[in-house]
This record gives sequence, structure tokens and C-alpha cells, in this order.
Amino acid sequence: MGRVKIAKKSTFIDMTAMSDVTVLLLTFFMLTSTFLQKEPATVITPASVSDEKVQETNVVQVLVSPEGKVWLTMNNDTAQAWSNEKMRAALLEKVSEVYNETRSPKIQFTDAQKAAFGKLGSFGVPLKDMGDFLDLYYQPEGMTKMDQWLAGEDPNHPTGIPINWNQDDSRPNEFQMWMKAMRQTDNENLKEAIKDGTGVALKADQNTSFEVIHMVMDNLQTIKMNKFTLLTALKAAE
Amino acid sequence: MAEIQQNDGGKGKKGHQKKMTIRVDFTPMVDMNMLLITFFMLCTTMIKSQTLSIALPSNEKVENTDNMSQASADDAVTIIIDAKRKAGSMDVDTINGKVINEVYYYFGKPLDGEAPTQESVASHNNLQKAEILSDEVNDLGDHTARGIRKIIQDRNKEVYEAIKELKEKYNNGEFGSLETAQEREAAQEKYKAAAVEIRKSDSYKKPVIIIKSTPHASYGGLVEILDEMQINSVSKYQIDNMTSVDSLMLIDYQNRHHGE
Repeated sequence: MGRVKIAKKSTFIDMTAMSDVTVLLLTFFMLTSTFLQKEPATVITPASVSDEKVQETNVVQVLVSPEGKVWLTMNNDTAQAWSNEKMRAALLEKVSEVYNETRSPKIQFTDAQKAAFGKLGSFGVPLKDMGDFLDLYYQPEGMTKMDQWLAGEDPNHPTGIPINWNQDDSRPNEFQMWMKAMRQTDNENLKEAIKDGTGVALKADQNTSFEVIHMVMDNLQTIKMNKFTLLTALKAAE
Repeated sequence: MAEIQQNDGGKGKKGHQKKMTIRVDFTPMVDMNMLLITFFMLCTTMIKSQTLSIALPSNEKVENTDNMSQASADDAVTIIIDAKRKAGSMDVDTINGKVINEVYYYFGKPLDGEAPTQESVASHNNLQKAEILSDEVNDLGDHTARGIRKIIQDRNKEVYEAIKELKEKYNNGEFGSLETAQEREAAQEKYKAAAVEIRKSDSYKKPVIIIKSTPHASYGGLVEILDEMQINSVSKYQIDNMTSVDSLMLIDYQNRHHGE
């Protein structure tokens, strides 16, 4: 009986081309990606037909959670002189000055605390707790603890910048203090942007009640920041 | 997993160099790259969010009221955003935790200028209800405005039509060619400048829209109404606080129409 002989063939596939393609794709994604910033609250912004681009530099973002908690993010220039770290450290100094004008006990921050503040993305804890919060930065596991604190998962520490209805410009609440301090840092471009309205961006969930948004807007109006922008998602033009 | 294959047929001749094919297996490399790509794809945000700029009036008390520009009652349109209530009560109705917004509006002064008393609220309530609806598009692709958009559009007819005409001119290339990106940008610039001119111009009859919202309505509703301003090219609008008369009228309207 004749047997059909099957020729032995190597199943080896040349993966070089495939590898080339994947490396190209990888390069593309690496270069185009901007990472999602970790934020204390996840919000879905409302859709709008407005197609103005969002400011990337020289902008203060006010994140409002549906419960009415507020956090801030400050983005400065890419320029060395007004870099994020430097300006944020300056901001902390300013805000403590503003705080000490009307409140006691007085607060003061060490250089190490200022340096830690410079490296933060979003921030938002009561100013009297800020020192403790920043000290966490130098502790092991501190970053995780900071994130938990900001997200409100730490029962001993309240998160969010204290805010209430306040129309008295001479006795600002802490949120207003921060916003005032933003205007006082040496970054002229940020100052300009805040003045013409592109420098303050409000980010809130579409289901947040108007009451909450109204309070934040009213706070800004009181310190004469009447122009600002609302962050929205693009809706296809109808 | 480099593979070095010896290919000498078993009987090597002495003094002859061995032929070697060097093959590197790239499969693990591809695997790893794919993983990395997946990671980057999931972590990136490709869609940049947009912004909507608004300007609010200052909170300062104005002492000299002479300098205030008064909107005439003919031009004024007040829009009130409220959350949908459960039938027969004042509780906010939600679907999957989402607030549904309703819009009410009135022209001119509340209660047609009557002083707010129990009788006048009942007899002169000029509040009406509208819906936030998108355009209706028929088979020919024509858009018809509905709901609150139609109301605003009717009030802002002159400006809206002028802008529409301008847009047509732009599309026909009257502001410059639309061929290349550069030319298109230049044309768009001109178009935008002309549109601003129209919106600012005093020769058109323009409404002044006052947007108010109850505390229960959602932020999304506010943005939707602000959007309507943009869609309908309304130049004068502002966000204001509810007055007691507004609340009275709203409650009166809801009491009369509940169960609908």
C-alpha cells in the first residue's frame, strides 16, 4: 500500500512585519495621548452646540460634584517662568495671606509643603487641614491616602473647598479666597485669561441641580469674576 | 527565542563553512506591543471637551439706576426652567435618577404688569409652557423649529433670518473661496465678523431674553437653554434669579395644569 507522504513544512510565520505595524501604532498612541486626569469626582458634562475649544494653559478649572463639593485645578503656562509647580507654590502662599487677613488661627506653610502642593493636580481640602494633607505627600503610601482624602473616602477628613452662599466681598469664603489668590499670582497670562473669561472653567455634571451651580456662580459674581466658561461635550449641530 | 537552524544536510564537508539562517521569533514582541497599544487606547481621551462662555452681571448693587439700560416690556422674554414634578405633588420626578427639565416662558412683564395679589395671579397669569425640542427634519431635509426654539426664533426673526442669509452667502463662497483650509479659515473669519455685526446692530428688532431657573432644575437644562440662544443667534440674554412673582406664577400654572 502506497502511503501519501505529507511533506513536512515549517509553520513558522514571519512576525517581523506585524511587529513593525504594532510599533508604529504604539508610537502613534503614545504621542497623541493625553492621560485622563484623576479627578476627585467623576462628572458627565452636558452636551452643547458650542464649538469653542477648551483652554489647555492658563486656566483654572472648578470641578463641582452633584453634592455641591468643589475642587480646583490650576494650569499655567508651559513657559519655565510660569510653570505649574512654581505658580502653584506661589498660589499657596497667596491664599494663606488672604486667609490670614480675615481668619484665625493663622496658617503658614513650610517650603516642603509648598513644594508638595506644586506637584498636585486637583486640590480641595479645607485650608486648616491643608498642612496635614500636604505632609502626607512625603509619607509612604501617602499618595493613595491623598487620593482617598480628595475622593471623600476618608471619614475623618472632609474633602472639597468650603463654600457657602456669600455675597460679602470683604469676608470671602475659602472658595472665594482661592479664586482671589489665582488672580494674584505673578502669571500675567492667567490674570488676563481670568479677566476675559477664558481663564475660569466650570465643570459640572449635567444632573447637578441648578441650586448648586447657582451658588458657585454667585460666589464668582461676588468677587467680580463675571465671565467664565462652562465645560461641555460637543453635540452634533442640529 | 532566537532560532539558529543548522542546514548542512547531515554530512558536512570539512573545510566548508556551515550555512546558518538566523531567525528571531517576533511573536512575543507583537504580543507585548498589542498589550501596550490596548493600554494606550483605553487610557487616552481623544475627544477634547468644548466650552461655552457666559457672562453674568455683577453682584454689586447699582446705586445710579439712570445708567441702567432698561429692556422694554415688548422685547422681554422670560424663560423659566423647572424640573418635572410628580403628578399631583411638588416632588421632583426623575427617570433613572435623571431630572427632566421643563421650560416655561412669558412675554413682557409678569402678570401683564398687574400687582401680584391672589386674584391677579389667577387671572393674569401669562406664563406658558414649552418644550425643549430639536428641529423636525422632513424627507427633503428641511428643518422646522419646534417647542421653545420656535418661540425664540419667532421673536428673533429679523436677526435669525439675516444670519441665515449670511450663512448662505458664506456657503456660496461670497466671502472667499472655500477650497483650501487656509482660504476657508479666512472666509470663516469674515463671516463671523459679519455675523457679530448683525447681532450688535440696532436696526433689527431684537428680544431680550432673561433666563431663570428654579433650584430643582438641572444644570443640563440651563446649558440646553443657553444653546438655544446660540442656535437662534440671540444677542441679548442673561441669567437672573427667580423673583417671588415668578414663583407664584409657576405654582399657579402647575396647580391649574396638574395631572396633564
